Amino acid sequence: MAKNRIEAHLESLKEKNEKAFITYITAGLPNMEKTAEILKAQNDTDIIELGIPFSDPIADGPVIQQASYEAILNGASVAKTFELMKNLRNEGFEKPIVFMLYYNTIVNMGTENFVKRCRESGVDGLIVPDLPFEEQESLNEVLKGDDTTILIQLVSPVSKERIPQILKDARGFVYCVSSMGVTGQSADFHKEVKEYLSYVKNISKIPVMMGFGIREAKDVKEMKDLIDGAIVGSYFINIMRENDFNANSAKEYSERFKRELNAL
Amino acid sequence: MNKKAYYGEYGGQFVSESLMNTLDEIDKAFEEAIRDPEFIKQYHYYLKQYVGRETPLYLAERLSEKYGTKIYLKREDLNHTGAHKINNVIGQILLAKRMGKKKIIAETGAGQHGVATATGAALFNMECTVYMGKEDVKRQALNVMRMEMLGAKVVAVESGSNTLKDATNEAIRTWAKTAEDTFYIIGSAIGPYPYPKMVKEFQAVISREAKKQHFEAEGKLPDVVMACVGGGSNSIGMFADFIDEPSVELIGVEAAGKGIDTMEHAASMAKGRPGVLHGTRSYLLQDEDGNIQLAHSISAGLDYPGVGPEHAYLHDTGRAKYVPITDTEAMDALMELTQTEGIIPAIESAHAVAYAFKKAKEMTPDQSMIICLSGRGDKDVNTISDYLAGKGYLN
Repeated sequence: MAKNRIEAHLESLKEKNEKAFITYITAGLPNMEKTAEILKAQNDTDIIELGIPFSDPIADGPVIQQASYEAILNGASVAKTFELMKNLRNEGFEKPIVFMLYYNTIVNMGTENFVKRCRESGVDGLIVPDLPFEEQESLNEVLKGDDTTILIQLVSPVSKERIPQILKDARGFVYCVSSMGVTGQSADFHKEVKEYLSYVKNISKIPVMMGFGIREAKDVKEMKDLIDGAIVGSYFINIMRENDFNANSAKEYSERFKRELNAL
Repeated sequence: MNKKAYYGEYGGQFVSESLMNTLDEIDKAFEEAIRDPEFIKQYHYYLKQYVGRETPLYLAERLSEKYGTKIYLKREDLNHTGAHKINNVIGQILLAKRMGKKKIIAETGAGQHGVATATGAALFNMECTVYMGKEDVKRQALNVMRMEMLGAKVVAVESGSNTLKDATNEAIRTWAKTAEDTFYIIGSAIGPYPYPKMVKEFQAVISREAKKQHFEAEGKLPDVVMACVGGGSNSIGMFADFIDEPSVELIGVEAAGKGIDTMEHAASMAKGRPGVLHGTRSYLLQDEDGNIQLAHSISAGLDYPGVGPEHAYLHDTGRAKYVPITDTEAMDALMELTQTEGIIPAIESAHAVAYAFKKAKEMTPDQSMIICLSGRGDKDVNTISDYLAGKGYLN
């Protein structure tokens, strides 16, 4: 069986001693064609989080809420997101892609059907912010036995004694939320963020990525030895908006962030 | 899976990782509190001296005569702040204090839970912020003023549909950021475990009293117990002590809005499918993509696209029956109760009254039913006057 694309890519980064750069964009913002262009333009982005818009994104701040809302108004749907994925893979687009979505999207489609569609269309991982460790059983049951699509674990600064059990069988990378609350607050990390990251880094067997509130590579300078990569979501959407979703600006941002991240 | 968080396949804890320890802390503190005689004593002290319990179980004589069966009203409308919501607020706020929290947040739709929370916060000197959809802030200006008078800060939520569901989203987001010093008081029987359990525990006083009062009046259990269901707090409180009494028929009345075959209703059990929203798995109104649909009801308190997980379980197991009542049926019942018994009910409660009139037709004079009159109609006078003037609905 082929290795999971995320894991294979992160291994290659490790060999090169490089940090990973991950971006988030909402599928269908402003439309699926633009989303495809934005995805393809990011030469230096290592992994892309593709958000399936949901009506009630409780883990997201205003930027991604608005992005989801607009995407849905513009006709984005789960079916169209799968179609986008399929087309990208058919065109030979090989970058690892993780779906970031809310659990009801999976429940509504039926977990088996949803996972089947993920595997068929080349979705490499799932991030489900409202599906904590205790509730993952039924999804894991369906995911197991095939490495095409894996579940990414999230931990937060207040997870503390929960962290070892969450990391025990974690795959791909661990997503460290830098602050309490929701996506897209300015680089105002939790007061004990370094302590927390070093704890995670210490026990994690897989790469540790930091997300929430990051804008530029310099935001993570102080934590550079504790993380294997950085995730930018809300700020990336803001940049796209300011540049009228011009793919070239995605390309430039991706180039600059990745270069600066590895020069920290 | 945390089995105790579930009612059959419903319930659970579908929240972000950063809230999981918080839920665990609340669960432990709650289980401890309800076993602590001091806490229970305090809770009942405030229910009696401050809320004004126990509330009467009133035999509606004229209605009973008209419909040919005994119709009892559990008068939650006589509580301080005008509805059952305060029962739960007193319980949760005492718990918040016990846990050392300094700040309270709450969501509100019509504003009843917001007013009850702001009241509790004033009483216990806690800082209170209430999240309310921008649309609801406009529709319920009077309740906004009440909350502000009581010292609460009302945040008008502008996201999504600008109603209760969005206010709840925003309250959950804020909570995730501030849980270290803030307690979230959920007003309905929804949310992640242990919230549905807490709300039931603190609303169970309704059925505990009613069961005793009915026994005193009739020397037996009632045949039928009914209540309106939005998220399901007054109904779960009204059902609680009767669930294990198989001879008692339990009926929950959902808001059918303009009719369950239109797109404008709030009948999540009649027309919804199981899904996950606001931390819990239950019946939800949703579209083919699983996006949550807007609910509609003339009564703002029933205008919610989901329902508490225990209700979903009682529905599936058949222990309780859930029936829809339209805006028009509810308004007719509201007028009838007002003119027959001199009680102006909340439009929410009028839904239960409307179904009671239908149900009474299959009952006999020696049988009896209890309707939970969850709130009074003062808050609804604008809606009622607009409705009567034929101008359509405010909500």
